Amino acid sequence: MTLFGGSATAPERDRRTPRSRRRKPVSLGFYIVAAITVVVSFFPTAWIFLTSIKTEADIYAWPVQYLPDPATLENYLNILRETPELLGYILNSFIVATTTTFVILACGGLAAYSLGRLTYRGRNLILILILAVSMFPPLALLPSLFNMFLELGMINTYSGLIIGHAGLYTPIAVWILTNFFKTVPYEIEDAARVDGASSLRIFWSIILPLSAPGLISTGLIVFIFSWNEFPLSLVLMSDNFMRTAPVGISLFPGEYSFPWEIITAATMLTILPILVISGVFQDRLIGGLTAGSGK
Amino acid sequence: MKYANRAGPSFLAPALLIIAFVLLFPIFQTIVLSFGRNSTSIFIGYEFAGLANYQRLLNTPRFITSLNNTILFTAVTVPIELLVGIGLALILDRNFRGKGLVRMAALFPWALPTALNALMWRWMFNTEFGLFNSMLSDIGLIAERINWLGAIPSAMHVMMFVSIWKTSSFMALLLLAGLQTIPDDLYEAGSVDGTTRLSEFRFITLPLLKPAILVSVLLRTMDAMRAFELPFNLTDGGPLTSTETLSLYAYRAIFQYVNFNLGSSAILIQFIIIMTISVFYILMIRRGDL
Repeated sequence: MTLFGGSATAPERDRRTPRSRRRKPVSLGFYIVAAITVVVSFFPTAWIFLTSIKTEADIYAWPVQYLPDPATLENYLNILRETPELLGYILNSFIVATTTTFVILACGGLAAYSLGRLTYRGRNLILILILAVSMFPPLALLPSLFNMFLELGMINTYSGLIIGHAGLYTPIAVWILTNFFKTVPYEIEDAARVDGASSLRIFWSIILPLSAPGLISTGLIVFIFSWNEFPLSLVLMSDNFMRTAPVGISLFPGEYSFPWEIITAATMLTILPILVISGVFQDRLIGGLTAGSGK
Repeated sequence: MKYANRAGPSFLAPALLIIAFVLLFPIFQTIVLSFGRNSTSIFIGYEFAGLANYQRLLNTPRFITSLNNTILFTAVTVPIELLVGIGLALILDRNFRGKGLVRMAALFPWALPTALNALMWRWMFNTEFGLFNSMLSDIGLIAERINWLGAIPSAMHVMMFVSIWKTSSFMALLLLAGLQTIPDDLYEAGSVDGTTRLSEFRFITLPLLKPAILVSVLLRTMDAMRAFELPFNLTDGGPLTSTETLSLYAYRAIFQYVNFNLGSSAILIQFIIIMTISVFYILMIRRGDL
């Protein structure tokens, strides 16, 4: 899900009055289907959580011990005591994803303002070009990017991976933000122009504040993408201590055995921010996704 | 009004610089490398080899297998995801108590890191201590524990299942955007005429949802065609190469067998296929068919 195509749509569309079809009372069968959806969706994470709070004896038991008896935080404490590099992976992910998000919002925001609200020749061509480039599979970048970064000494550096992620997701951010910026009323910009404000000034003091919801949506989506990104992080961070969480945890098992008690605990810690974001900011996320894709 | 502006193009500079550095140039180099021999860069010691890598790939059974795996994976998962996605989108379009929870349930699989999600399922499909073997034997469906991920073709089936679980909800969110553009008057007119639920869906919802369906199917097809971290973490392409996708094959050619040129050609073939499918879809969207 790294790409959004299709045509522009107005993000504010969500705010219309509810339609009668939607207000119709729902049946019991409807609730049952909805409940199944919820269970199926959270089921794997719930099981991983249960595994992570079991003792090792309970994890490797047949028949399977469904509920932890006793529940323990030992696996989490063991990460702290014995394999703190797993916490380092999460810290690396946090540094990379946060910085990437701000770099993309700055560069992509400026570009989206230019493409969405200013007129000059070649504007639409550039927007289409940006979208077309992002259609290439990320793997197409790997052989070249690996060599370039090796030559430039950017392998195993935060800045290297941040630039990589920024490149991957700037096109999507430009696309979503262009649609959001178009919704800022032109009257406000006109008034500022009359007062002699420059384009940069208007971008900073008018467009950005008035598009705050769009910026938050885009920022959260980009953060999640960067947090989850795998192929580039795998190749550009080969040093054990520089790995991001998804890569570090995947490669952690090593050659022989899978320490599921550690894997499940580290996985829970890594997906916790995702769980919180998708719970707290669901409107923002859905708004951003639909602004980037629908018609 | 929009403003004719000299500053406009210069605002594009930072974004275009990053895109040129991370996307445009590397893609260009990958294309050139795919026609090369024993070279990892187009600047130092590049040797032109014509179509040699492409010919070699087409005569490599393992590459053909990964191509078939990828096409099979895409052809099975995308239509099922569409069906599940339509169902879920219809649920999300209604107003009811607890809607927030269902929306979160729809977002959550999409937001999970695919790599870690693959590990989660790998644990649940574990042969010796896995949840599914345990549940199936509890209800008496199996006598012996099943080696889901270590057998052909069940490993591929599990991989398809995981992908459907993970991405149906994304499909649903894209379709929901389409559903919300359908004017309510149409349904009201329908109910005056006494339409049933089913004919309402068949004659109002489905035709008007077509554009959203095409866009989401296009996005998911492109995504499924380049599946990488799912097989990487769920099955490692195995058993044998029964779940090795094009992306995984290319990755191994490049970084395990250190043949940048062969790997680049594999990626290019993958891209050509994706492009062909995309153009086909986009033409259909333009013509308003299907």
